[in-house]
Amino acid sequence: MKTGVPSYPVAGRVVASAGPLTFVLRRRAAAVFLLLLALTAVAVVLSLGVGSTFVAPADVVRALAGDGPFTVVVQDLRLPRIVVALTVGTLLGLSGALLQAISRNPLASPDVIGVSQGAGFAATVVMSTDLGAAWLGPFALLGGLAAATLVFTLSWRYGLAARRFVLCGIAVALATKALTEIFIVGADAIDGQRAQIWLAGSVAGTGYPEARILLIPLLVLLPVLLWAGRAMDTTALDDGVARGLGVRVTQRRLLLGVVAVVLAALAISQAGAVDFVALAAAQLARRLVRAGRPPLACSAVAGALLTVVADLIARTAFAPVQLPVGVLTAVLGGPYLLWLLVRRTP
Amino acid sequence: MTTEHPSPADGGESRAPVRLAARDLSVGYGNRLIIEGLDLELPAGAFTVVIGPNACGKSTLLRTLARLLTPRGGAALIDGTDLHAQPTRELARRLSVLPQSPVTPEGVTVADLVARGRQPYQRWFRQWGSEDSAAVERALALTGLADVRDQSVEALSGGQRQRVWIAMTLAQDTDALLLDEPTTYLDLAHQVEVLDLLRRLNRDGGRTVIAVLHDLNQACRYADHLVVMKDGRVVDQGAPDKVMSAETLADVFGLGGVVVPCPVTGAPMVVPDAPA
Repeated sequence: MKTGVPSYPVAGRVVASAGPLTFVLRRRAAAVFLLLLALTAVAVVLSLGVGSTFVAPADVVRALAGDGPFTVVVQDLRLPRIVVALTVGTLLGLSGALLQAISRNPLASPDVIGVSQGAGFAATVVMSTDLGAAWLGPFALLGGLAAATLVFTLSWRYGLAARRFVLCGIAVALATKALTEIFIVGADAIDGQRAQIWLAGSVAGTGYPEARILLIPLLVLLPVLLWAGRAMDTTALDDGVARGLGVRVTQRRLLLGVVAVVLAALAISQAGAVDFVALAAAQLARRLVRAGRPPLACSAVAGALLTVVADLIARTAFAPVQLPVGVLTAVLGGPYLLWLLVRRTP
Repeated sequence: MTTEHPSPADGGESRAPVRLAARDLSVGYGNRLIIEGLDLELPAGAFTVVIGPNACGKSTLLRTLARLLTPRGGAALIDGTDLHAQPTRELARRLSVLPQSPVTPEGVTVADLVARGRQPYQRWFRQWGSEDSAAVERALALTGLADVRDQSVEALSGGQRQRVWIAMTLAQDTDALLLDEPTTYLDLAHQVEVLDLLRRLNRDGGRTVIAVLHDLNQACRYADHLVVMKDGRVVDQGAPDKVMSAETLADVFGLGGVVVPCPVTGAPMVVPDAPA
């Protein structure tokens, strides 16, 4: 009796259709997405303006268009690093949202389940040898993936058991971190310091080559991410219920988990272990959207926003001394994590 | 038993009776077999209740028939074919299952959870259609949840929450409904409410309903067909008044007592011996 687009039975959601395609959209998620995007744009303009030479926002916008006296400062000196910060944040935000959805645990993130620590260990080992800086990224990537593989294997019980996953991750993270400390103590002083900065996570001195390494896999994974945004709804359900709905829970959780780990390991391989962004971005987005599990697209933008803002503060708060961005995210993230834990206690 | 004219509230659809069976079925956890070489045929279109003492394998049997567990040997059959060999999505359009005390997801409203019952019909590029809306509205109406559709599931009472889960399985629009102890943790009024709903779904909707229940009197009162299990085997099955007796009580449950006709329904009623 009704024609055209059906209404969705849940308040605040609409069915959008284009030809044979129909999608369910949350009004609130769409609004939050646009808001976060706008805030990120503001943060980028601010960050492009602040530094040893101050550039007013209007001049930043002109410089981005290739006009005015600040083109070199804005486009060549500051923009590349900010693009890396944006990309790293996006990847970490996606990773956190996926990991929290598959484990049904708001604490799950790449720095809690060992991906960062695995990457950090591998990077430290490379720094303590004669291998050049070019090997840092690939080894860090492998280290992160290896730690994640260990966590997946240890928590496997007739499938990826959600609760065991986070516990095994914490164990692997701690053990790997201890191994890294041993390595740093054993290495000579200069290598140790370099390792500490890398471990804290920093986008200083990075640019388009690093951004490209991160953006290409992100584009390749885009179709999977489009599917994942919806597939996460069923991994948030009780396993038995999800199986009853015809979902292959084990395969789905493993696939989403692998995507999450690859995204995080990539980000960390280029920027070091930037702490808490993945965890905080996903939770921030979830709270803003008021959703049961982290919304994927909003988490991505929240990650980008947090990283750019953290990098801006890290760059300018103690100028001319630049803090690694990861130090700042850790300082902000620690209290946030505590707040999250305290709030969850009934 | 099954009416030819389903009630208008059920969408006026006629449902095909579903024949579930086990053939030489063995199921276990780790290296322990709970069920070994079980043969069983459940009547199509009936309200079947499986009873038995704790750890007799009744939940294991139900979970295997719902493909939540994979057999070690033999097969579970739906209309004569191995149901574990079927694509799980296709099976989800024939048969829905409500596991025992499922964890309620955080921050989900009633309509949101019920709408997830449409999962087996969706693709990521075709996420919603008018038939999905119709199925959700039908499920909400059947379970009397239309008034609380926008409330958070976590905020509901245990009885209402159980109705939400049942509504989700109804939105799945299947011919068979399997439930693992759907009345556990509910007070008596809510137990009766859930069982009345299941009976209505069976009588008016023509769904084949199979439930595991703990309460023997409720089992006798609601079941068309009773399956009695002990130590992973089916000890007896049939109409409640044929199956339930003082001997069954003693042999299967190790309980002394008498079985008398219920003063209200006439179904067998278990009265245990006076306390020592």
